[in-house]
Amino acid sequence: MGKPVDLLQGTLDMLILKAVSLGGLHGYGVLLRLGQLTGGRLQIQQGSLYPALYRLERKGLIASTWGESENKRKARFYTLTASGRKHLKAETALWNDFSSVVAGVLSAIPGES
Amino acid sequence: MRIGRRQQFEDDMDAELRFHIDSCVADLVRSGLTPEEAKRRARIEFGSLEASKDQCRQAWGLQRLDELRADLRLTFRTIRRSPGFAAVAILSLALGIGANTAIFGMFDAVMLRLLPVRDPGRLVFVQSAGTAGRDGPPYPCFELIRDRATSFEGVSAFSPSAMELTADRGRELARGLWVSGNLYQTLGVRPLIGRTLTASDDQTPGKGGPDGAVAVISRAYWQRRFGGDLAVVGRTIYLFEHAVTIVGVMPTETISLEPGRPIDIAVPMMLSDPVKLRDRTALWLLIVARLKPSVRMEQARAESGALFKAYIAGVRISEETRTRLFDHMDLAPAAKGLGGLRRQFSKPLSALMILAGLVLLAACVNITNLMLARAMARQRDFAVRLAIGAGRGRLIRQHLTESLALVGAGAALGIVLARLGQTALAAFFAEGNNRIVLDLSLNVRMLLFTLTVAVLSGLALGIVPAMRAARLDPAAGLHGGSRGIAGNRVSLRLGRALVVVQVTLSMVLLAGAGLFIRSLRELESVGLGFAREGILTMEVTPERRLFGSSEWLAMQTDILDRVRRIPGVRSVSWATMNPLSGRDRGAVLEVPGFVPRTEADKDIHLAAVSPEYFDTLGVPMLLGRGFSARDHGGAPKVAILNVTAARFYFGNANPIGLKVRFTNYPGRDLLYEVVGVVGDARHDSLREPPPRFIYLPIPQSVDRINRLALAARCSGDAIHFAAPVRRQIQSVRSTLLIANVSTMEKQIEQSLLRERLVAALSTTFGTVALVLACIGLYGILAYAVTRRTNEIGIRMALGATKSGVVWMVLREAFALAGAGIVIALPGVLALGQITKASLYGVEPVDPIAFASAAFLLLLFTALAAALPGRRASLLNPTSALRRE
Repeated sequence: MGKPVDLLQGTLDMLILKAVSLGGLHGYGVLLRLGQLTGGRLQIQQGSLYPALYRLERKGLIASTWGESENKRKARFYTLTASGRKHLKAETALWNDFSSVVAGVLSAIPGES
Repeated sequence: MRIGRRQQFEDDMDAELRFHIDSCVADLVRSGLTPEEAKRRARIEFGSLEASKDQCRQAWGLQRLDELRADLRLTFRTIRRSPGFAAVAILSLALGIGANTAIFGMFDAVMLRLLPVRDPGRLVFVQSAGTAGRDGPPYPCFELIRDRATSFEGVSAFSPSAMELTADRGRELARGLWVSGNLYQTLGVRPLIGRTLTASDDQTPGKGGPDGAVAVISRAYWQRRFGGDLAVVGRTIYLFEHAVTIVGVMPTETISLEPGRPIDIAVPMMLSDPVKLRDRTALWLLIVARLKPSVRMEQARAESGALFKAYIAGVRISEETRTRLFDHMDLAPAAKGLGGLRRQFSKPLSALMILAGLVLLAACVNITNLMLARAMARQRDFAVRLAIGAGRGRLIRQHLTESLALVGAGAALGIVLARLGQTALAAFFAEGNNRIVLDLSLNVRMLLFTLTVAVLSGLALGIVPAMRAARLDPAAGLHGGSRGIAGNRVSLRLGRALVVVQVTLSMVLLAGAGLFIRSLRELESVGLGFAREGILTMEVTPERRLFGSSEWLAMQTDILDRVRRIPGVRSVSWATMNPLSGRDRGAVLEVPGFVPRTEADKDIHLAAVSPEYFDTLGVPMLLGRGFSARDHGGAPKVAILNVTAARFYFGNANPIGLKVRFTNYPGRDLLYEVVGVVGDARHDSLREPPPRFIYLPIPQSVDRINRLALAARCSGDAIHFAAPVRRQIQSVRSTLLIANVSTMEKQIEQSLLRERLVAALSTTFGTVALVLACIGLYGILAYAVTRRTNEIGIRMALGATKSGVVWMVLREAFALAGAGIVIALPGVLALGQITKASLYGVEPVDPIAFASAAFLLLLFTALAAALPGRRASLLNPTSALRRE
């Protein structure tokens, strides 16, 4: 396990969308999958997970249905909607652009420009 | 959001979060923790459950709703706690908003509403214009424009006229309209049942079209006269004794182009007087045309102007008549229909709109003042809320919610009041012979207006207390309690300023009411020149074939004899028109030795009267003799002038024995000898000075005698004689048509309709404002006395008398009222200037109106000050001092 990383402002929504895009999940499942995907290096405030989910559902990017969990309990499952998929794609592209630009800047060697 | 759905949201959120925690706990237990330890860890990792929930609610958009609900709950609680305040606030708002809505409804109906026809914006009136005004061109000219002008999709003519109808043996006078067959195609109006008139119905003079003589009736007439019977289509009725088939029923609003003046029946032009249709100079039509979509007004004006010029070149008229009446062709927008009603009511309605606005303003100022007082009392409450972390935004919103709730209730009640008021207003207009029917039903524009007014007043109300709440310092608010903070002194000053504004507003309204009342009184007491009381009037029409016959003449004498024998009838007479009846007839007179400066100098009003006329109406005989039975058709022709005419034509010379000649009847030599001069009588309206008048004996009338007006002078209430007089008339001939039964007093009253309306409404508005100002004054004085309890105690302990204390309170009251009155002065002057045109016999700057308004205000100020003054004088110095 590497060093813990703080979550960048505004990236939680993107990560949730990504997590949900890999298959329907309940809230706790989103948390677990994000932990898995980041190798546990990302600190996610559990308390802010649900407001984010509600916000995304309100925006119509994800949809929720009540279903049964692995341990036979009633749970709310989230899935990506069509507009959520589009949004995720756009956000991903934006992020890639952004990170490559920032990485380019930060990796500049003195005297080269 | 509904309560049930809201609960569902909470339950789901709880379940979801519980599942999360439980799953977390289960995983932790699996990793080897004890259940208790696992629970603790899970809780810690999750953080504050409640905060998370709150954020969820916010993310879902529920928080605002929750806050609004809390605001409303608090609002209702505070309103319930002070029902007196709420009642005054809601009632005064209801009055203000109601007055505005009601007046705006009238304003809308009269001034703003477009004709409910297809694309009214492209309709124009085509008028022959000159220095004497504008009017529709003669019928042959109309035909020319209809057939030749290419700028229009349709050109149509119409002309209102009283029509005599007989159906089911009942004869009556209906409000008719001669129309060119294509009128309803031009307007784009469809019939409700049956068919409308078409151009083919209007082809042959005296006959109509292929279906013969046809007509359409209005929905209102259909319902009134035929009980809404569907079988009315195809029925034959008689129009001046000619059979006419009803082919359709038209909407009442669009059967004519004059909103407010309902028409009963529309008949094709070709069935009207063929002589008039051929007349190349008679102005009796109104022409309405629809512009083609691509044609601009100027193009159409140029084209019809050229046609008109060609037409006029072929007509033999004097140069002066041409400039007066037939100078050029003009087009005027017709989207709102004929402007008679608009012209008549635009000024009074605009004045009333202003007054109603002032009333609403007064109501708002009053409520602001009350709210301010309450805000002071609630300062502590708000300070506590601020101190425990309420945002200032929330506080401001709380204030706005409160004021909007009050305004909402006020507006709802106001609409109810406006409806009631409008029913009364509609009844006010519907009186009398020339009744006006206004469509005052609620419409979107009216509701939007009310809504706008309400929201604006709500914001105006909330803003001052809200600003104060925003500036509130919690520490000071908590410390000081209700007394002794600088802020309170500021509030008191603000409160006083608001009271002064209230006094100013009510002063302006009261002085305005004073002006209108004085103007009405002046009009009511204007010298009429004839008797006001005890005169019964009605119009009697024989069948058309009797017009001008000796048989009709004999009947007239017979009727006079019989009516005269009714006990209580002192005198009875005939005339072609009675004063103030709205009827008129003009003639052109040539007087020896008189050189007219303009063509108009030769114009004179003309009436044919029976010998008893002047006596019955109480018009004094000043010179010479009256008419008598000896002035029959074969006798030498005689005439009587009124004083105005005698002076105008003869100066101070005695006109008796001189001869005058009517020149507007080509081919007839009409020479009359002046045998008498009578006093002047008002004719058109009470406002207009009496015009020049010439009277002829009925048997010697220049016109064929058809409809006549009867006047009977009775002892006691004249209207009681209507039934017996009617019986006597019908005993002479049962088919005589009797219409417009009224009394002179009633007609005078009706001719003052506008003035009475404005006077009554402005008085109501003034009273409301006065009461509001008194409430404001009382409030501020009572508050001042409470605040100064200590000071008053000290004064009394030092020997101030009770009357001295009362005087102290009164002095403050009068100072406030006096300031308001002085500040109102320019407002009163401005109002006088604005309403100048509606006033009669009163200068816009009227000291009496101003002084009485000021006196009334000071009187009520004293009344408002009495209670706080008394309370101050009854203070016990010892307990007052102990209060500190």
